[in-house]
Amino acid sequence: MMSQPWTLAEPSHFSSAEQILFAVLAILSLALFWRRFSPILRRILASKKDADFHLAPVGKRIRDFVWEVALQGKVIRQRPLPGLAHAFVFWAFCAFAVVTLNHCAALYGAGFLDPHSPVGIAYFYFAAIFALACAAGIFGLFIRRFVIRPKWLEPFSPESGVIAGLIFLLMVTYLAAFFVQPDGVAGRALWWVHALTLLAFLPIIPHTKHLHLVLSPFTVFLSRGGFSKIPPLQGDEDFGLVAGKDLTQLASLQAYSCVECGRCTEHCPANNTGKLLNPKQVILGVRAYLNEYGPQSEEALLGKHNSQKAIFECTTCGACEFQCPVGIEHLPIVIGMRRGAVNTGEWEDEHGAKLFLALERGSNALGISATERDKFIAKNALPFYDGTQEYLLWLGCMGAYDPKGREIVLSLVRVMRYLNVSFGVLRKEKCSGDPVRRLGNDLVFQQLAEANLEALAQANTRKIISICPHCVRTIQEDWKEFGTPPPVEHHSEFLARYASQLPSVPNQEKIVYHDPCYLGRYRDVYDEPRAVVAHAGQLVEAERHRERSFCCGAGGGLVFLGEETGERVSHARARELTATGADVVGAACPFCNTMFQDALAAQGPNAPRLLDIAQLAARGLPETEAGSVK
Amino acid sequence: MKIIVAIKQVPERDAPIRIAASGKWIEEADLQFAMNEPDAYALEEALQLKEKHGGEVIVVSAGPERVATTIREALAKGADRALHVVCDDLADRDALGVANLLAAAIRPENPDLVLTGLQSEDVGLGQTGVILAELLGLPHSTLILQVEKTDGGIKVKRELEAGWFQTIEMPTPAVLTIQSGGNKLRYATLMGIKKARSKELRTLNAADLAASARAVVTLEQISLPKKQKSTQILPGTGKEAATALVEKLKFEVRVL
Repeated sequence: MMSQPWTLAEPSHFSSAEQILFAVLAILSLALFWRRFSPILRRILASKKDADFHLAPVGKRIRDFVWEVALQGKVIRQRPLPGLAHAFVFWAFCAFAVVTLNHCAALYGAGFLDPHSPVGIAYFYFAAIFALACAAGIFGLFIRRFVIRPKWLEPFSPESGVIAGLIFLLMVTYLAAFFVQPDGVAGRALWWVHALTLLAFLPIIPHTKHLHLVLSPFTVFLSRGGFSKIPPLQGDEDFGLVAGKDLTQLASLQAYSCVECGRCTEHCPANNTGKLLNPKQVILGVRAYLNEYGPQSEEALLGKHNSQKAIFECTTCGACEFQCPVGIEHLPIVIGMRRGAVNTGEWEDEHGAKLFLALERGSNALGISATERDKFIAKNALPFYDGTQEYLLWLGCMGAYDPKGREIVLSLVRVMRYLNVSFGVLRKEKCSGDPVRRLGNDLVFQQLAEANLEALAQANTRKIISICPHCVRTIQEDWKEFGTPPPVEHHSEFLARYASQLPSVPNQEKIVYHDPCYLGRYRDVYDEPRAVVAHAGQLVEAERHRERSFCCGAGGGLVFLGEETGERVSHARARELTATGADVVGAACPFCNTMFQDALAAQGPNAPRLLDIAQLAARGLPETEAGSVK
Repeated sequence: MKIIVAIKQVPERDAPIRIAASGKWIEEADLQFAMNEPDAYALEEALQLKEKHGGEVIVVSAGPERVATTIREALAKGADRALHVVCDDLADRDALGVANLLAAAIRPENPDLVLTGLQSEDVGLGQTGVILAELLGLPHSTLILQVEKTDGGIKVKRELEAGWFQTIEMPTPAVLTIQSGGNKLRYATLMGIKKARSKELRTLNAADLAASARAVVTLEQISLPKKQKSTQILPGTGKEAATALVEKLKFEVRVL
């Protein structure tokens, strides 16, 4: 029978020998796949249960799944060109599911899509469009991986080349079938090459990064939810991620889902400034651990496959977790390993021990006498909160003890007084526990959270406002483990609401706003501080901003840990901010502020000045005598 | 090596101090308490000796109920067991009275070494350790920064004035009073706290110890220090002034 031109050639008859041969090869392929995949599945399932996991709310899970998996939203948005190339490969795979089923069914005379029927023609053409896009996409990805070779795609991965070749071959053999006779040698050969490529593809999946094809839809759907969600410790034997026995099913699933795209490493401030930490290798380290020791092992996690030094270089900026397209939550793993090292006393660090001792005995992370806070409050006539005022003004360690932090607090106080918004401060306030939480000291964190929760409850606190995104996050999310914190907001949210009521600033300087990690990625607050900045001057953006903002280097307790190796993260960021040509850097976090003071000074005489958004908001206010800082 | 560390619970450094109506002690009602810092260094030295040479570290503390929290902290940091001499009249006793209590608790243990901080952060007499040695009939050495075990006994490094040190060899058993700063203190861990729960904490009643409370020194009155500010200009070139400043920060203000 002559085929009509431009229809898909599908051999109309297959011999019994062909049918048997394919059946044997298909069984072999499936068996090989299972042989390699089942140990991985067993390791994931044999891991510790996630005690705090809840499937609800399912609606959000479905939305995330549709956006991240089906629509490839994250993949494309964060890396548009390679993202689109990947999306076409993915969508082609989805479109090809039907084609492939039909391809195999046709062998046994059970084909359900007739290449000559209108439905068949329509579908095969539909798939052909995706095949073209996929072939182009995979070719582009191949060029990128093997010719352009960005550093985050290291190490060199020959299997990726093989896989790319197989995918390319699948598409080419499909497309070529539109140009040949169905029962000619070419038609039959194309059918077989396509079928054999499929069968060869299957067993390669489980031991390469292409396992993400199978696992990542589950990983995305089953994520812990929230950002940097740190699970509560369970019982008396749980000290965090000490050994394999502490890895949960989600952690193991995530470790095996890694697609090695390196987006995490590309955006990691530690890795970009010459430090040992490589978030991709952290996850692959967990995978290698599971492969070698298994999920119930007593062997320490920090050892052969992950280094303690690297783990403690993390600023917990969360760029990795935010970027990950396959739903890996890096922070619970990094902080989990820190918990394991700190809660058992394995981590020995002079600065770390000093911080912990300061917070075991004293009230603040800076190790300063609490009477200094009392003096600051008295000097500036800050009222104490008694339950009647609208806001409890949380000072935080920086706001209460650090000279720059105090200036920020006093600027906010000026604005609140101008707006007639009532506020008061706590008589006794301890560190929110952010640095010890991120460094993994559960003992001190619990003591601080409980003491503060009690003090806030005794003061009948209704609403908290704070200049520190770290305090805001820790109070709102991390304290939940020990009680019910009052609602809390960052001063940018407050100031944005009232910006229109503040006197305008005549001098329209160029102000570059730096997104603090704990306000942006952690809290999803991007527009409010920009509204405040726009009120005070002309807003300009740094190259990396909003979700992709680059850390100042202070987070994760690192501001207390002494000198960094490699380049200082703050200097790398200060260079970027200076390059915008702005007159002022607008900050919204006292830790960013303290890091940039030094880092901007190092940029030379033309470096922009540094102001918090509270100071920007207070710029147009009439001068008062209450502006002095002590 | 069997090491006993005598520790004292004192008001937290940050605590706002108010003089009690009697004028002889402070108002304790709203205070937070913590381990006396030189005692924390004595404990650290003991723990390090145990880690090197094996043995047992026993903490002993005299004071009311609340002292138990500080004892638990010492157990959490690694001490093996503890003795709590329960007494409510600690502030009324002089150094001899306190040393009498400690000696009575320590004597039956027959330790190789007794360590304690060189002074307390509250009354700061610096006497208790020395009197304790006398009561136990043991040799002692004060202001110790380092302890090393030797074949016949120990070798200790003492701090003298103006950056000078002295090294002494002495026999054991002995009593040493430890100066702050000789080691790096370890932080408390969750695992340590959990382990501490199952460690032995024996309470001894002060009344049962036949330890005399008769005071030879009586405390007449306490007062808050007078606030005074003094400014000092450091002369010389920038470099000289900076060197002088570092000296002062190190040895006078002791913040470096």
